[in-house]
Amino acid sequence: MANYYNIDDILMEEEPITSIFQVRANGVGLLDPGSESNCVEAGAKVDLPLWLAHELHLRQAVAIGVPPCFSQRTRKEVQADAACVDLRSRCPYFYELGCKIFPLVGDKSIGPFLLYTFTSRYKEILSKSHSAPVSTSPKYLPRLTQEETQLFKAAQWSIASFRKWRVGGSRLEKASILGRKRKPAAAQLPPAG
Amino acid sequence: MVSTAAGATSSGAGLEGEEGESIWGEDDASIAETTDVELLKRAWRNEKAAPEILLFEAGLVQRAREQIQLLEETVEDFVENGTDDLIVSLYQMDLDRSLFLLRSYLRVRLQKIEKYMFHISRTDLWNRLSEQEKKFSKRCVNAMEKHLEQSVLSRLPYGYQSILKQSISSEEDDMVPEPKLDTFVFCKSKGAVGAFQLDDVGDEIVDLVSDDLYVLRYKSIKGLVEGGRIDLV
Amino acid sequence: MAGQSDPHLPMFTAPEVEFLAEDEIVEIIPNVRMGALHMICGDFGPFLPQIAVKVPLWLAVAMKKRGKCAIRPPGWLSVDNLTQVLEAERESPREFQALPFHYVEISRLLFDHARDDIPDIYMVRSLIEDIKGVRFHKVETGLETISGRTHAVKLKNLSAMEVNIVRPFLVRTLQAFYKHDSPQIVQPQGSLNSKRPQAADRGPRRDLRPR
Repeated sequence: MANYYNIDDILMEEEPITSIFQVRANGVGLLDPGSESNCVEAGAKVDLPLWLAHELHLRQAVAIGVPPCFSQRTRKEVQADAACVDLRSRCPYFYELGCKIFPLVGDKSIGPFLLYTFTSRYKEILSKSHSAPVSTSPKYLPRLTQEETQLFKAAQWSIASFRKWRVGGSRLEKASILGRKRKPAAAQLPPAG
Repeated sequence: MVSTAAGATSSGAGLEGEEGESIWGEDDASIAETTDVELLKRAWRNEKAAPEILLFEAGLVQRAREQIQLLEETVEDFVENGTDDLIVSLYQMDLDRSLFLLRSYLRVRLQKIEKYMFHISRTDLWNRLSEQEKKFSKRCVNAMEKHLEQSVLSRLPYGYQSILKQSISSEEDDMVPEPKLDTFVFCKSKGAVGAFQLDDVGDEIVDLVSDDLYVLRYKSIKGLVEGGRIDLV
Repeated sequence: MAGQSDPHLPMFTAPEVEFLAEDEIVEIIPNVRMGALHMICGDFGPFLPQIAVKVPLWLAVAMKKRGKCAIRPPGWLSVDNLTQVLEAERESPREFQALPFHYVEISRLLFDHARDDIPDIYMVRSLIEDIKGVRFHKVETGLETISGRTHAVKLKNLSAMEVNIVRPFLVRTLQAFYKHDSPQIVQPQGSLNSKRPQAADRGPRRDLRPR
């Protein structure tokens, strides 16, 4: 698994997922703020981080609900004007979470919804990142998910470094750091070699 | 929807002239290709662009080292016998450029080794390293093992003390970072490779035309890169 | 899955691309007499006043800086040729004209260091800027057409610096589409995006150009 140390993967697994306990669980009352005893009753709705929900789901201890960022309401909003939707506030790891969760909740329409969302928002990212002055990004950038932000920044960064190169001075001067200082005096030409 | 080979057979006016020129350019390039600097440049480019470590160019690096050393001595002689400033500085630049290529080539490889040391030391990739790189890699692995051991692992319960596995029940080494071979790379084929299968599944075929630029998944052209039939750019 | 944050292993910086361009061969007219240079990167010279000789660009620039030569601008860097190229670039929105792989870097180096050797430099410079602009616009419109899993993109005649500018974005884009448009994820038919002509997108090759 190449992703073990991937910080985004780790953070994504922290996303709270609404889970419904299928069994009564003793000794884990802290998971349920509404619980008065030290146990969670069967049928209780509790927000668990994805990593925990996933494990418990595998053991059939909880049922996982579709996160709100994939609800019908969000889908309608995305369909209306994908580029305008503030996905980051809904879930910064929107796509990654979607990929991870659709087999768990058994909702196969999430996959196509992710693709639709990305495709629709991609064009806006493309045009904004390549043409818009940096000043417009403070308004636009906070709406993007982590993956979209990285895409956006990749474009901005490479254009910025190209511009820097174009106006910058000569790179050749850098070489003098590597080279050694020489103070040769003029003389006749050598039989070089 | 999928337009193929746009431009390959276009008949724009003036294209003839352009092509004539580019043929000249290629001639220059193929003459230059024979120098070790050109070969080193190619190795450097491929190494930088490939996600995994490539075979160490032992002979080439050796030759480059020798030439660099020779020129260093020559330049020193020039300085001693008071050779013209211009000539010395031109040779010095040539030297600096070769040194830069060599250093950067070696450095990119060291970065890959540092990043994927556990993966490299446990796979066939190990055979792609030079003797010095193997030594470096071993020391890296030792230092990392020792560090993790002392700072974390020795304090974990039995069954969770591996550097490679999350726990004793892990079936594979699920904590070892590996290069992403399915990343996309830019490449140029030197000769016509012809129809080439792109995916394991098999129905994605691309016709690689000489000197055209493609963006493909590294995984699919890995063999061509290793065989020197295609260059990454 | 979320492995996108991994900043790609060191790729080429603009100065590195320039470094590669500096090995391109140009013609100079020396104004000094100097023996042949036997360098690691090749043999050049001998240098005789007023006799044209071929050298790598870095060497040409170094001599030019010391006032030891004039650089003969390459044939493609003329008002006539560039006007034609610009026209052809504009007329064929689907393809890039053939220019030297390092045309951006070579022209910048010559504009910076050999301006007095280039006839009509202002015109030439603005033509290069225009060509760059038109080509970059084409790249963008080409990028817009990506809408699904793409196995290969062909970029005939795209130059080194242009490659370097689009690389980070294009690679991430292709990877994202590869991931989101994978058969395992998008297999189920119906629902939201059924309007998208999915099957047609799975072509063996897509040209990064507007259709």
